[in-house]
Amino acid sequence: MARSLDPILTKILWNRLISIVDEAATGLVRTSYSIVVRDYHDYCVGIFDARGNMLAHSTKTAPGFIAMMPNAMRHFMQVYPVETLREGDVIATNDPWIATGHLLDLTVAAPIFLDGTLVGFTVCVVHHLDIGGRMASIESRDMYEEGLKIPILKLYEAGQPNETLLSVIRANVRMSPKVLGDINAQMAANSIVIAGVRKMIREYDFADLEALADTITRLAGQSMRARLRALPNGIYRNEVRLPPVGALTEPMVIRVAVEIADESVIVDYEGSSPEVEAAVNCTLPFATSYTAYGIKVMVDPTVPNNAGCLEPITVRAPRGSIISCNPPAPTWGRTVIAHNLPEALFGALAPAMPGQVIAACGSTPLVAMYFNGRKHDGEEFLSIISHCGGFGASADRDGYGTLCFPYNTAAIPVEVTEADTCLVYQRKEFAADTAGPGRHRGGVGQEVVFRVADGSHAPPSPVASTLRGSPRNPNSTYPAFGRDGGGAGRGATLTLNGNPVPQGGRQQLRPGDEVCLLLPGGGGHGDPLTRDADAVRADVLAGLVTRAGAQADYGVLLEGAEATIDHAATSILRRSRSESLQTAAN
Amino acid sequence: MFSIGVDIGGTFTDFTVHDRRTGRLFVEKCLTTPREPERAVLNGLEALARRIPGLEAQSERVNHATTLVTNAILERKGARVALLTTEGFRDVIEQRLEFRYDVYDLFIRFPDPVVPRQLRFGIEERVYADGDVLTPLNEAQLLEVVAELKRLDIEAVAVCYLHAYRNPVHERRTAELLVEHLPGVPVSLSHAVNPEPREYERSSTTVLDAYVKPVVSAYLERLSGELAQRGIRRELEIMLSNGGSTTASTARDYPIQIIESGPAAGVEAAIWTCGQIGIADALSFDMGGTTAKLCVIRDGTAGRARKFEAGRVHRFVAGSGHPVAVPVYDLVEIGAGGGSIARLDQLGLIAVGPESAGADPGPACYGQGGALPSVTDADLLLGLLDPAHFLGGQMALDVAAAEQAVREAVAEPLGISVTEAAYGIFDLVNETMAAAARLHVAEKGCDPTRLSVIAFGGAGPVHATELARKLGCPRVVFPPNAGVMSSVGLLTAPPSFERVLPLKLRAATLSVAALRQAVAPLRTAIAATLAQPEAAVTFRYVAEMWHQGQEYPIEIGFTPAEFDEALPRLLAARFAERYRELYGRPGDDTPVELAGLRVVGDLPEQRLTEVAPFAPGTARSLGTRRLYDPATKAFHDVPVIDRAALQPGEEIAGPVVVQERESGFAIRANDRLRVHASGAVFVELG
Repeated sequence: MARSLDPILTKILWNRLISIVDEAATGLVRTSYSIVVRDYHDYCVGIFDARGNMLAHSTKTAPGFIAMMPNAMRHFMQVYPVETLREGDVIATNDPWIATGHLLDLTVAAPIFLDGTLVGFTVCVVHHLDIGGRMASIESRDMYEEGLKIPILKLYEAGQPNETLLSVIRANVRMSPKVLGDINAQMAANSIVIAGVRKMIREYDFADLEALADTITRLAGQSMRARLRALPNGIYRNEVRLPPVGALTEPMVIRVAVEIADESVIVDYEGSSPEVEAAVNCTLPFATSYTAYGIKVMVDPTVPNNAGCLEPITVRAPRGSIISCNPPAPTWGRTVIAHNLPEALFGALAPAMPGQVIAACGSTPLVAMYFNGRKHDGEEFLSIISHCGGFGASADRDGYGTLCFPYNTAAIPVEVTEADTCLVYQRKEFAADTAGPGRHRGGVGQEVVFRVADGSHAPPSPVASTLRGSPRNPNSTYPAFGRDGGGAGRGATLTLNGNPVPQGGRQQLRPGDEVCLLLPGGGGHGDPLTRDADAVRADVLAGLVTRAGAQADYGVLLEGAEATIDHAATSILRRSRSESLQTAAN
Repeated sequence: MFSIGVDIGGTFTDFTVHDRRTGRLFVEKCLTTPREPERAVLNGLEALARRIPGLEAQSERVNHATTLVTNAILERKGARVALLTTEGFRDVIEQRLEFRYDVYDLFIRFPDPVVPRQLRFGIEERVYADGDVLTPLNEAQLLEVVAELKRLDIEAVAVCYLHAYRNPVHERRTAELLVEHLPGVPVSLSHAVNPEPREYERSSTTVLDAYVKPVVSAYLERLSGELAQRGIRRELEIMLSNGGSTTASTARDYPIQIIESGPAAGVEAAIWTCGQIGIADALSFDMGGTTAKLCVIRDGTAGRARKFEAGRVHRFVAGSGHPVAVPVYDLVEIGAGGGSIARLDQLGLIAVGPESAGADPGPACYGQGGALPSVTDADLLLGLLDPAHFLGGQMALDVAAAEQAVREAVAEPLGISVTEAAYGIFDLVNETMAAAARLHVAEKGCDPTRLSVIAFGGAGPVHATELARKLGCPRVVFPPNAGVMSSVGLLTAPPSFERVLPLKLRAATLSVAALRQAVAPLRTAIAATLAQPEAAVTFRYVAEMWHQGQEYPIEIGFTPAEFDEALPRLLAARFAERYRELYGRPGDDTPVELAGLRVVGDLPEQRLTEVAPFAPGTARSLGTRRLYDPATKAFHDVPVIDRAALQPGEEIAGPVVVQERESGFAIRANDRLRVHASGAVFVELG
């Protein structure tokens, strides 16, 4: 006799589902052949019930996968209805309009059978090193330039690999042994989920996952709806203008209207720019993921995510826009758009949630570059480099330095990148005066300098790369905004051998070529003239703020080798600064 | 022939002596002496020597655990450390990995770096990933920095240069110059502390090693000297964080390796207890004076990890602490113990820990000048401790002092009674531990309703039943000698040392003869450490294997008898089998590599196996005690029973207080107590 799902058992089994997917994620990492999985953490593992409802996903995940996996699952079940599936089947796709918005991620799902009955699915998404095509360029004009598209197909049939499909993949991708090895690692993750779910169901003598699924999705949905109800009804709007990238000349507009209607929220991107001729367009499932993430993280962050959390959220976007492009628009660098969506929502909802919204993060959006070439010993590499600016300040504290948002990939260690490639870092340190000033300042940004090895370690051939920096230049339409009187983050430059280079253009790097990246700090929160002078002094002593910055941004005057605060002069300076600001405002 | 286990906690130092001829165990407990921890060790040994003739002269083995390292980090009481890095990389420890350990929480917290930015210095030097020197070490600049370190009164130096794990030449030269120009200041070098790539984890580990080195190193040197003077021949052993052992001299050089020695000893003890009483799944709960340790035991064994985190700052969540790259038992440790200090936080709410009164001054009731209320003071006021029989009556507890401390710091400011305040402290520390335990149990995917709590440590028994109730665990097990259990755990594992041979060989084509030759000096070194001829040592091997291009090895064990020409085939077969077990499917066609070979040597006959049969005494009732009952919010007289008098098979219904020399526990009205043949007490919660 199965135990009833009382609140205690429900909580235990909910945690159990999460621990199963986390264990599977660990298995994925341990069997993987690539740094993208091992160090960059660009993956997600999920559990679904037999009806296709998402029940849990791994703690380590990119937010771009959280609402897109259910969409992929629905499509999988349309193409391969449940009654046609057999044990050992594996379904896969990388279709950007069904799954994760670009071809590089392969989404695989496998049915979970228990004593001949299908009780659920396991899904594993992995960002692969390569999928062929032009390799990681925003210059592609359509999807066909971006690599191999795999429609919804069976990768395994009743436990037997689909050798035709695997050999097509092998023939079309760079670094194919690693790519194929990582596909195998996805299979391992699925096996671990299948074993874990079976064990759990047997242990508690359930017939399937449905009762548990109904309970935890209901609870999650109730919680989200209750939190939404606590917000004032209304339509909240925001608009941001992203600086042009690649060959574009006009800013890209994200326009959003967030309608809070009792217990639901409708996010509508009507009025956003039409899709562009640069590989930065979002597909609707991917934009939906980042939108749902933005809502969840602000409205109801503590309940573990499942289908229930997503149910009260509706996302709409005009077809053919940068938020919901039509095939075959190019989408490789869709994070250039999608990563700004949570912040756009924050800006819209700030009036409804006073004091609860953080300033902009200097790390938004992702700054990632791909490098393909050979090490001096001739070994080929294909590697990603990604580093972050500072986090946004909040009403009660400073932002952390160099912390990602809204994506959640880790910085690949310098030592790992250097061992894998022919790149050599010169510098990676906090950059002074980059934090947006405020009563609480933003997180500090950083300077990253690296070069292609020369001399005895020079590569035998040039390194192909697409260089990208942060678009959040303080002089652009899109600085890392402060909030409630806080200043914007500073920084954001990208140079090659000292000269500015365009964003996302393909480059051939030669031995000794040096790339310098200044990544901006986060936005500040509250009036910097009210910041505790001792905190300003501490930042000066740590070298995070210069004395000139202390005076200019915070009105704090420091004297002598010990940087003693001149309290009298500081209070005079702060008063006059504050008065002149008021005069200017009037 | 005696084996001695000594476990130093933040508050008490515990001892177990095993007489191998008779199987008898002797235990002892005395207050830790934080300024000179060896004092307590020697005091306890003297007390034991009075009870056991010939103890010191006939001791074969002293195995030691200490929480000094972890306490220094939790309480942030380590040395003033400077960090030298490759120029341009001085923010590695503060930039971390740039990602968020909780993707949904915008307000997560990270620990402050152990070395503030002002004390981090970039040094001009550079080694390439393959070990080639790109930029030579700038010794002139280094000497300028050294002069600055002298001015700054630096107490220890950590050095972490990029790729030093591949070529340590610059770290070594830096150490030479530091020793020359900054004599007496200990140095921790990253390539020696954690010879693996990934600069953040390696820097963090190295910095913490330096942070605790002055205190640990000086202590172990003094203790080793004292033990040698007392005629104990073999070098002092220290338990490693994964239950293995090392020598005191190695531990002095790399103190971070013993960071979890005390908790590891506790886990060893809990695993041993599980074997004695025949249960497979348990939650080991070890609560001392300063911290509480919780560890899930499944199928009679605990998980191990290659990395753990010290000093988590955000609700015990993984990712919120300092990474430490040492092999450990997979457990959680939080700053909640008998000495944890209660106070009001900035919101005016009760807060308990992580600051601890430790042993000096100790809780207010110890009457040693401590004026702040601690968990032990609250326990005393609730009737959970007996003021007259603490430590078998060796140490009288001052009820008035406890009352005054609780009144002044908590009850009066909140306008509540002293009893209410004491219960608030008691309940809060239990809830804090339960929260950490829930997370740990959930992380392991376990169901607390199927776990027995194994309660030990000085404060563990007192708090275990309420913790178990909060977690929904049905049963608490109180092993014999619960109050000194970790020191028992120091004797349940044999003396054991290991050496690692780093390799990069195709498994299919390896030369067995060459490998045997490479292993020979490691065997000799291990035997020397054990002070035994090689023939007396039992060896075994662990091969670390992966598919070429992977980075997480699978461990495959084999015996000396299997170390022959058939080894490649045996390894291939076991690797394939284990891979399938772990990942549910076979690996691919990529060749399998041998990434390392660990040689382990131990002396199995020296481990604690047989214990003399449990011999109950005859004394029985110790009268009654006034015990606080939260249900009725009143004190009731409850009978007190001497644990030593409990008979195997006996069952008793609560409420009752069970008193033993090193600890004690109370059970409530609906709980039932049952005595196992081993002397362990089972309490089934009502």
